[in-house]
Amino acid sequence: MKTHSSSLLTLTLLALLSILGVPDVFAQEAGTSVVDFPYTGNRTAVWIVAQLHILFAAFILGAPIFVVISEWLGYRKQDPRYDRLAKEVTKVTVILFSMTAVTGGLFIFVLLAAYPQFTTSFINQFYVVFAILYPALFITETILMYAYLYTWDIWKGEKKGRHIALGVLLNLVCLLILFVINGPTSFMNTPPKAEGISPQDFLATATLWDKIANQSWFPLSLHRIDGNVAFGGFIAGMIAAYLYMAAKTKEERAYYDWMGFVAIWIAVGGSLLQPFTGLLLAYEMCDYDFSFCPYMMADQLSMFFEMQGIMIGLLFLGINYYSWLSVKRIEGADNVRITVLAPIVLIVLLPVTMWVMNSWWIPDPMSLAFLLPLTLSPFLLGRFVPVTVSARTVIKIGFIIMLISDAVWLTPAGFVATGTDMPDEMKLPEGWDYLSSMPAKLSAIFTLVFVTIVNFVLYNRAIKQGTILWGKIDFAAQFVLIFLAFTSTWIMGLMGAVRSLLKKYFHTYSLVSDLSAESFTPTLSYSAGWITAITVFFLAVVTVAALIAIRPSVAKVKEPEGSPIPVPVK
Amino acid sequence: MWNLFKKLAVGFVIGGGLVAIANSQEVPFSFQLLFFIVSLIGAMMFALLDAQTLNTMSGGKSFLVVTVFWVFLITVCVAGASFLPQFEPDDEKAKIGKLLEKERKQSAQGKTEELIARAKALDQQVKALEDRLKGIGGGQAVATTQAPTAGEKPAAAGGGGASGDIMKVGEEQWQLQECYNCHKLRGEGGKKRGPELDNIGTLLTVEEIQQKIADPKSMMAEGYDKEFQKGIMPDKFKDLMDPKELLALATWLGSFKNTAVNTPKPIKKK
Repeated sequence: MKTHSSSLLTLTLLALLSILGVPDVFAQEAGTSVVDFPYTGNRTAVWIVAQLHILFAAFILGAPIFVVISEWLGYRKQDPRYDRLAKEVTKVTVILFSMTAVTGGLFIFVLLAAYPQFTTSFINQFYVVFAILYPALFITETILMYAYLYTWDIWKGEKKGRHIALGVLLNLVCLLILFVINGPTSFMNTPPKAEGISPQDFLATATLWDKIANQSWFPLSLHRIDGNVAFGGFIAGMIAAYLYMAAKTKEERAYYDWMGFVAIWIAVGGSLLQPFTGLLLAYEMCDYDFSFCPYMMADQLSMFFEMQGIMIGLLFLGINYYSWLSVKRIEGADNVRITVLAPIVLIVLLPVTMWVMNSWWIPDPMSLAFLLPLTLSPFLLGRFVPVTVSARTVIKIGFIIMLISDAVWLTPAGFVATGTDMPDEMKLPEGWDYLSSMPAKLSAIFTLVFVTIVNFVLYNRAIKQGTILWGKIDFAAQFVLIFLAFTSTWIMGLMGAVRSLLKKYFHTYSLVSDLSAESFTPTLSYSAGWITAITVFFLAVVTVAALIAIRPSVAKVKEPEGSPIPVPVK
Repeated sequence: MWNLFKKLAVGFVIGGGLVAIANSQEVPFSFQLLFFIVSLIGAMMFALLDAQTLNTMSGGKSFLVVTVFWVFLITVCVAGASFLPQFEPDDEKAKIGKLLEKERKQSAQGKTEELIARAKALDQQVKALEDRLKGIGGGQAVATTQAPTAGEKPAAAGGGGASGDIMKVGEEQWQLQECYNCHKLRGEGGKKRGPELDNIGTLLTVEEIQQKIADPKSMMAEGYDKEFQKGIMPDKFKDLMDPKELLALATWLGSFKNTAVNTPKPIKKK
């Protein structure tokens, strides 16, 4: 049924493309496209389809990591909830797998229609990847994905280990796909080059490996791995929120409350790494060509990063607010206390980190020599300090620190999108300009991550000392879960646009120029409109997929089969 | 509700205090606004922390509330992004237009030439057919005509548009290649990433400046060891500019001989 529907969808899309004039592409002999996508224009049409494809792909590559972790936890803890969660998310993943394939195909068609010459030459550059490696891996992934789902109920009990191993194998293939396809993607930003040789000359002699292993390939892959884990978690959290709202019984509500909680904590694990792998990617990009740096931070894209700061700040506030609401439904959480060193470190961390980063900029190890002992002190020395503070107070202090960190992160050198033409009345005056420096930004991110870790530690203590009332969480938490999924998807869309725009007026940076009239940086306002539309469409599809895939299993669970529905209370 | 008002009042007081401090230090208004907004967000955050538990909703009510929430999220994102200062694409379009002018011309010229060649070929075929028809009528031999191929193009007109005032071209290249992002000149641009260049004409010849632009590793500005080691100056300019443009830029830079500015001494590395 599903294959049938996706085939129908593909046919419809092909029909649509033919209306848009794709056959004309093959009639032309040279030059730019004769196709002009109505309303959006060619560049935005490619952008929309590419971003949708990346979102679906990110989910189907990230969700298996999330799923196997969950399945393994269920096996180790002998807790059937984890297994159910893993299976339900796998069902959604399988549906979205079809969407990934459809949007992938559509992406190639639209790209061919919009930029026929570039697409052909680009595919020729990577024909081994596009014609052999990628299809082979994708087919392998498809087989493994279906095998993983359909052996779920066969390989259980003693054979569970075998099933988990299959899941691990699936993940390895997923990772391989990610690394392989990131080759051509990153190549467009940072094609390989050598000193003293023109990029064209170097490319003529470059091997496939030279092209794949370009400067931003590995950092981009790392950033996408932890990003996909976080993304998978946030999306699973949103699914849990919807199902919590739709739940009819206390048991169901308890289960989906738990599902949201697990999803968010797995997502947080990925999110904590993201700022640092993102920074590594930016560092490598700037190292490749320093002109990327002012373009991102001072000129055309500076307000895109301002928006990113706002959204990430809100994301961290959301994560920690969810944590707060989770603590509120733990009986006995009021008695949880932590060493006074924790709030002290929270308060001093931002200024100390700013001082350290200004004195010993990374990768100077001296910065770690100061920061590691400071951040570890509450956990290592806390037991020797008799004074303690309640968990609620520490969390509230954490929120104040987070807000200050957000303010630092959001303070630019000037509120203008063109750094060089910045009028003095828009600039931060001397004495305040340290707030806009990179050390200040890094310190703010570092502090946000640290606050979240402290909250996680407190939450774990609360769980150990109190009793969790699953299904009794404040209903507002469900909105936080939806908010987190929306925000993380939106940020992915924004950063996807930034990565692509970094190529400036090139298809492949410094190698192939984009001669169309659309090769300029669009405004943030225009971009935000499309990013929001893409986000809404993607999340709507995920919601429908979740409702299709998961609802029947809920009905089955309700049947009296003799197997107890876990309503775990500690 | 009282909780919300109380927290908002605190937010207003803190925000007002920050605005007052920033104002006294002559921090621009947009930053003051930023500090004030963050204070209000903080106030709302704390109001949420102490808010009463929201009762569980289900069915149509939850659907309605979720829909409203979605509309809220969409509005905030679109409006928030539009509220921030926007980059004016027309500025960049003009620059890109100049940068890609030659390539676009070549591409367009190539297409036009191909069309002309095809039209000529068709014309020849028509003539051949006419001759054949005439031959049938008048007993003349049919002359077959070789159609010119698309490759037989007329010589390209002009040599690239780098004519005219060399100084003007040089200054234009300074703007187009965005050298001002790293170098200060005439008191404008520069973020301390590269040396100030107002006295570069006294320290280097035009040929040497040309060499430095084409091969950034050929010399280092005194005191810029770290930047030189990192290779901050890209070595792409020789590929982005043609020799005439490179010469024009070097000539224009060579005309800056303001000894009052402390342009660091260049040290030869190659």
